Amino acid sequence: MRKIIKSCGITVVNKMDVASYRFDVVVVGAGPAGSSAAYTLAKRGFKVLLVERGRTPGAKNMFGGRVYVSPLKEIYPDFENKAPIHRWVTRERVSLVDGDNMTTLEYEARDSKSFTTYLTQLSGWMAKQAEEAGALLLNEVTVDRLYIEDDFVKGIVVGEEVLKTDVVIDAEGINRLVLERSGIVPKLRPSQVALGIKEVIKLSAEEINTNFGLEGNEGLAWILMGDVTKGVPGGAFIYTNRDSVSLGLVVYLKDAIYKVDRHISNYIEELRLHPLLNKYIREGRIMEYSSHLIPEDIGSIMPSKPYYNGLLIAGDAGGFLLNLGYTYRGVDFAAYSGYLAAKAVEYGHDNGGYSEENLSVYKKYLEESFILKQLKKFKDVHSLMKKERLFELYPSLANHIARELFHIDYESPKILEAIKRAKEGKVGWFTLLRDLYEVSKKL
Amino acid sequence: MPLDIIVGIKWVPNTTAVNIDPKTGTLIREGIPSVVNPHDLTAVEMALKLKDRYGGSVTAISMAPPSALAGLEHVIGMGVDRGILASDRAFAGADTLATSYVLAKVIEKVGKFDLVIMGHETIDSSTAHIGAQVASWLDLPYVYYVVDAVLEDDGETLKVTRILENAYEKYRIRLPAVISIAMHTFNPRRIRLSEKLRAKMEKPIEIWSIKDLDIDPNCAGLRGSPTVVSGIDFVPKVPRKNEVFQGSDPKEAARWLLNKLIEEGLLDL
Repeated sequence: MRKIIKSCGITVVNKMDVASYRFDVVVVGAGPAGSSAAYTLAKRGFKVLLVERGRTPGAKNMFGGRVYVSPLKEIYPDFENKAPIHRWVTRERVSLVDGDNMTTLEYEARDSKSFTTYLTQLSGWMAKQAEEAGALLLNEVTVDRLYIEDDFVKGIVVGEEVLKTDVVIDAEGINRLVLERSGIVPKLRPSQVALGIKEVIKLSAEEINTNFGLEGNEGLAWILMGDVTKGVPGGAFIYTNRDSVSLGLVVYLKDAIYKVDRHISNYIEELRLHPLLNKYIREGRIMEYSSHLIPEDIGSIMPSKPYYNGLLIAGDAGGFLLNLGYTYRGVDFAAYSGYLAAKAVEYGHDNGGYSEENLSVYKKYLEESFILKQLKKFKDVHSLMKKERLFELYPSLANHIARELFHIDYESPKILEAIKRAKEGKVGWFTLLRDLYEVSKKL
Repeated sequence: MPLDIIVGIKWVPNTTAVNIDPKTGTLIREGIPSVVNPHDLTAVEMALKLKDRYGGSVTAISMAPPSALAGLEHVIGMGVDRGILASDRAFAGADTLATSYVLAKVIEKVGKFDLVIMGHETIDSSTAHIGAQVASWLDLPYVYYVVDAVLEDDGETLKVTRILENAYEKYRIRLPAVISIAMHTFNPRRIRLSEKLRAKMEKPIEIWSIKDLDIDPNCAGLRGSPTVVSGIDFVPKVPRKNEVFQGSDPKEAARWLLNKLIEEGLLDL
């Protein structure tokens, strides 16, 4: 950038009267949470402004690849026939990897409760539903912070401009700078989040079906644990889209900071070239590389309350995401929390305003729904994820046992014998049983 | 002395994602997201800076299919007052001559203007023709590679500075005139909420078809385009040896590199 301009540096700010436009509700972020909130409210006659930082909705968000459909069907009529669905997940695969060995548990059904898609497409579709219902979508507008007056959220601040409104739904995602700058949540710490990195690899639909043994629009969701993350606690995933494969890694940021010794893209490169995985995607061409933060330590990410005078918090910003290790649920949790936030706004509207007292109904809705029920039920799962044995030792142990059982020269061992030999010098019975008990209790 | 400014923008495929079809030699635009040509955003920024300083208005014009409305909306978000999109099937397949003809016709129809500002060049074709051609059609003075412009007290003369490889040149030109802005001169300003709202609510963008413009159909689109791309040769791929110096001593590294270059016959000491 050449700095030679001296005479044109004067900027006269034409303060436009933003007040000439009135909206009942401003929704920050056109992701799954924001768009479902905007859609629900617009449909019920609210004047809604949906503000998105990216060039288009979905330009800034990212996920692994799978969405559970039931909550979305409740929000959108005829969702399955209208939404951009790539494949229905009929096959679930969980693999424990140790070097060139892999032990896999697989479940296959003829029906399905979840689908794969591109989040950009789904976000675009959801934002379009909101627009068609009457919400006004503004892309390319970055909200800096909330406008707070007398402890009451009264609008949003963009640059030097303020747009006043009655109630704000913050659905800005996990990197919640608006809430941080407004003093509503503290800065995120590395221990609270994971880093997701993903490549989308282009293959034809036929190649995917052949390589993965699928038919038509059947899909595969595949979670891998073990040394695929090169010793960094976390896991890997593969999802089949219509004519591409999403291949990714999730590593706990706190550990990654110390253990990742090269650029993180090398880790996904090695995952793609892994001898056990590369054969599925060899003919593919890399179309996209992306990365994003993922809520992990949900208990500590959740604000003390998801509402405030004039404010509701939905989606990742509120910590509404469930990670069970063998599956992730982000989009359906986000969309449904946005839907409930919209219902809370409606409640406030019908009961005289958007005070904390009225908006606390949002917490009640969340508690009555699967969202907080599930997050409470699995509140201790995160503490499991701190156990390094889970990421390295047990995948290795499983593969050693399998090798003892299946890799036969002359004599087959008894199962207990195989376990004994495999765990020799690695872990004691006591630790093994205690971990097993803990996993079965928390998960 | 307010200035009425017209600024030209082009809606281009984001070339970082574009490939060339080896058979036809044309850009594969399918599925590639488009953006406002970044060098045109520099021109828009210059126009807005002049408006901030002297008052007046900024009108953005473009010739493109209707998808370019998003681009005009973007610059209106920055503070441009009005957008005009010349859009018609008859304009399709235009080279720079036919494009500049249509843009000049749009400017002619806008009528009241003091200054036309263009970007340095576009990232999808890099001809840098449009500014000069528009000036020719309109028979106006033209200065390019401009980095600064100041209006003189008479309100009719613009003092412009243009950058060359190792010098700045200063010109005094009579308005109306056409200038194009050297790339990277300014960072475009941030999108404003109120402007973006205005873009949506007050519909400040008009679409003009061939019927709205006094245009000779033989001069527009493919018919008005004498340019023929006779062929494309790809730069041959140079096979790389991928040798990396393993070590940490910079002296040793320099010696290693020097020896390699001599071995390869690239250096003769």
